Amino acid sequence: MRRYLLTGILIAIVLTYPILTMGSPVHQRLGALVLLAAVGASAWNLLGGYAGPISVGHAVFFGAGAYAAIAGYTHFGLPPIAGAPIGALVAVSIAALIGVPTLRLSGHYFSMATIAVAELTRVLVTNWEFVGGAQGISGPAVPRTFLDLSFISAMPYYYLFLAVLGALLFLTWRIENSKIGFYLRAIKDSERAARSLGVAAGRYKLYAYMLSAGFTAIAGSLYATMFGFVDPESGVGILISVKMLIMAALGGTGMLFGPLVGALILVPLEEMSNSLLGGKGAGLTFVVYGAIIVIIARFLPGGLLPLLIPYFQAKGEEIKRAEVNRAA
Amino acid sequence: MLRRGSAYSAFVAALMTFALPGPAGAQDTVKIGAIYPLSGNAASAGNFSKAAIELAADIVNNAHPELKDIPLAEGQGLPGLKGAKVTVIFADNQGTPAAGQNQALRLITEEKVHALIGAYQSGITVTTSAMAERHGIPFITPESVAANLTERGFKWFFRTTPVAGDFARAYSAFIREQKAAGQKADTIAVVNENTEYGNSVASVIREVFAKDGLNITQVIPYSANTTDVQPQVLQMKEKNPDVVIFISYTSDAILYAKTMKDLNWKPSILIADNAGFNDPSFVSSSGALVEGLINRSSFAIGKPGSVSALVNAMYKKKTGHDLDDPSARAMQGFLTMAEAINRAGSTDPAKIQAALRATDLKANQVVTGYNGVKFDEKGQNILASSLITQLKSSVYIPVWPKDKAVATVQLPYKGW
Amino acid sequence: MSSILLQVIVSGLLIGAVYALFASGLTLIWGMMNVINFAHGDFVMLAMYTAFVVWTAFGGGPLASIPIAAAVLATIGVLSYFLLVRHVMRGPMIAQILGTFGLALLLRYSAFWYFGSNFRTLPDDILGPPFVFGDIRIDAPRLLAGTLGLVLTVLLHLLLTRTALGSRMLAVSEDATAAQLMGIRPERMQAIAWGLSAASAGVAGALIATFFYTSPTVGETLVIIAFVTVAFGGFGSVPGALLAGLIIGVLEALSAYWIGPVYKDVVVYTLFVLVLWTRPQGLMGKV
Repeated sequence: MRRYLLTGILIAIVLTYPILTMGSPVHQRLGALVLLAAVGASAWNLLGGYAGPISVGHAVFFGAGAYAAIAGYTHFGLPPIAGAPIGALVAVSIAALIGVPTLRLSGHYFSMATIAVAELTRVLVTNWEFVGGAQGISGPAVPRTFLDLSFISAMPYYYLFLAVLGALLFLTWRIENSKIGFYLRAIKDSERAARSLGVAAGRYKLYAYMLSAGFTAIAGSLYATMFGFVDPESGVGILISVKMLIMAALGGTGMLFGPLVGALILVPLEEMSNSLLGGKGAGLTFVVYGAIIVIIARFLPGGLLPLLIPYFQAKGEEIKRAEVNRAA
Repeated sequence: MLRRGSAYSAFVAALMTFALPGPAGAQDTVKIGAIYPLSGNAASAGNFSKAAIELAADIVNNAHPELKDIPLAEGQGLPGLKGAKVTVIFADNQGTPAAGQNQALRLITEEKVHALIGAYQSGITVTTSAMAERHGIPFITPESVAANLTERGFKWFFRTTPVAGDFARAYSAFIREQKAAGQKADTIAVVNENTEYGNSVASVIREVFAKDGLNITQVIPYSANTTDVQPQVLQMKEKNPDVVIFISYTSDAILYAKTMKDLNWKPSILIADNAGFNDPSFVSSSGALVEGLINRSSFAIGKPGSVSALVNAMYKKKTGHDLDDPSARAMQGFLTMAEAINRAGSTDPAKIQAALRATDLKANQVVTGYNGVKFDEKGQNILASSLITQLKSSVYIPVWPKDKAVATVQLPYKGW
Repeated sequence: MSSILLQVIVSGLLIGAVYALFASGLTLIWGMMNVINFAHGDFVMLAMYTAFVVWTAFGGGPLASIPIAAAVLATIGVLSYFLLVRHVMRGPMIAQILGTFGLALLLRYSAFWYFGSNFRTLPDDILGPPFVFGDIRIDAPRLLAGTLGLVLTVLLHLLLTRTALGSRMLAVSEDATAAQLMGIRPERMQAIAWGLSAASAGVAGALIATFFYTSPTVGETLVIIAFVTVAFGGFGSVPGALLAGLIIGVLEALSAYWIGPVYKDVVVYTLFVLVLWTRPQGLMGKV
């Protein structure tokens, strides 16, 4: 029973967090930011964590979603969120297009190719007037209807992102426990062996890539809706790709809640170190940030979650044993 | 016995209410938040602006009678708020629109700032000021020039700096004047770095020049933070335009200066638009290579003993560098905000907003070279203006317009 | 051929040789240990600051700063190996990305904190006036950087292929366990590889400092060029890095000149991606 109590408490906190933090808008917003980052990192995880290929160019898909949302507003007067399905479609198409030749590449070559494609896209976007070029484009300055999803409070954003994350994690969980999940794990372990057993590795990697791309684009659209502005650096910059990746890595790739754990650590870390140290201008925020990442990488190369799971498992065993002893 | 005791207690209680903090508005400090790039690529400029704002706060909070007509310089603190001092709380926008907005929220809801200034990069000012608008906090941008910032229908947003259109008109008038005086200026090349700043200024220059009949023959956008600009300079060497207008950040400005010397080419008139070429790092590292460079600035050191010279001396003492244009504009933005708060006599946002709308500073009341500060209904300072300056021995001297010139312009461009 | 075109190509070759130099250091550890080093660009940045300090502290030019920067960076490289890399290598590839990215941030912002955000440059004429060959002007710093870059890359290749130390290092990259059975200590070889890699970044940085600006965030731009050069040339291949560096340098310069500077990156990246798609091992990498 106590096992379920812990999970129950966690779920209750997650569901009521914005209400608990109503007195502190900064903390409330932090919750929304964590969830948004978790959506992106979990989307990345579909490919990098479960199927194996480490993409350092997912910013292309993020940008597709962000730009589709704002461009939809700027050129057609649509509410930004309406751009989400369009962005996802564009992202999935790009993934299908470049996925075929790129997924054939192994390991580091694949990563480098994704970087190149992302940087290429960034330069092209910088010179494309339709999306504002280097100056970027802005969403609605003042919300016109509820659909513009422009809120003062972070609470609606929190629940929106929570819903999307929930859907994504549910989908990931279903895939994890399905035939496709087994195939992907086999491919990640040893592609050659999987192929020799008849697994159509290329096809499944492509599916993972496309799914990952689609959800990353949705994260991009959500970002654009909340912040109301996108330009080449904030939409397709390399830092976006890297952040998704390190969040998943920090928490634990290939695990359902890994990216969320990573986001739970990195996003507050970044925000709080900036708030505490940023104003002095000595860049200390990033020294701290970098040092912590180095320390975690050094001592926990597998990420944080694998460390925590045995701990929880042990706790679970302890509780079970205690119950058994009491019953005896 | 009891009655006297309770009367006595009541009397003491009544006395004590005077010791309690008064109603909101009669604060001991006024808090202004400043969001600037203190890390990342624009950190150099951001940190110079930070120093300028700190100096401005010092001017307001302490007695500086030597600064004569500058409002609030003479005494200590804000007389309209019973001598309350102004505190500036800085935040780093890290060069991203997201961080700028997050920090704005923190400054507003946790630090409880009464007003905000920033955020240097136009894209970041978009998101940062949106947060201020939502919370009803007055926001001044002292240096972001993107046109759309004042087109959003915002009620709490104000801009003290001139915008790209003003610069373009100044350049146009300057070039036409030189032409009339016999200087060759038939072909013009525009070289701009390809981020929002460079692009927006370049496109406005092209519009204005076309209207004024000036002939732009080459347009060379390039990626900022590039490693090699030889091909660009070679392109120009080939076509040999009379006038070149550069719009670059500091790092590229340094590269161009060096490369032009290496490839031994210079135009007759070299105009550099602000940003990089105004950065003290550029002037100290490459000033000797670009003697005679034309720049535009809203700040000129001016004659010894003038307000601007005194302010420059204070800044130099603080940072070791002369006051540069963007930092001077940051300073003016802060001073404008402080002056408005003082006139409002309160830290109530709506009163500050009303005071800002009624701002009417004259030319002698501003540190920068503006004709004054007066906001139109969109929040734009219609009296903002620029000077054209020329680099002589690593110092920028105003040479245009004639009524503000300290020296005559020396053409053609000397370089190294 | 017009003299301007020739000038463009020459300038492309010269900068390409510098790309080759710091890419070859990167490709060495990449090939040997299968590690991506996100901090490589920041190694170059630290070397540039070292050159700047050498100049301001006692007026030393490149002749002094090159060996000093090489030594300083070699130390940093070896330290990074023992304190961080050795441990993250035990984890998945992604842990290496995490670790070296954190290292990059740490180095970058420590430099920022210590030196400040201002741009620094060395005096323009630190090596004297430009060399003039007919219509071609080559400034001394770039000429030095290009030639030295070329020479050192070749030397590095010879070290790896012709010396006993080199064979030991290559043995470890082929099969670390087998090498261990032969009496070679893999960790020592890997540490040396890191030291060499960082030293090559050190020399490259000291060379670049003579004609390029120094600032804490320079590494960001340089590391992507390094990655592309390495992948283009083929992971683990120093000759590949050299060839790739030169090609990229010339290609960048030509595209900037013919099409326009903003598109030079587009051309390089497109070519890069196309090559990978058709020849996944890069120009000279092993399949």
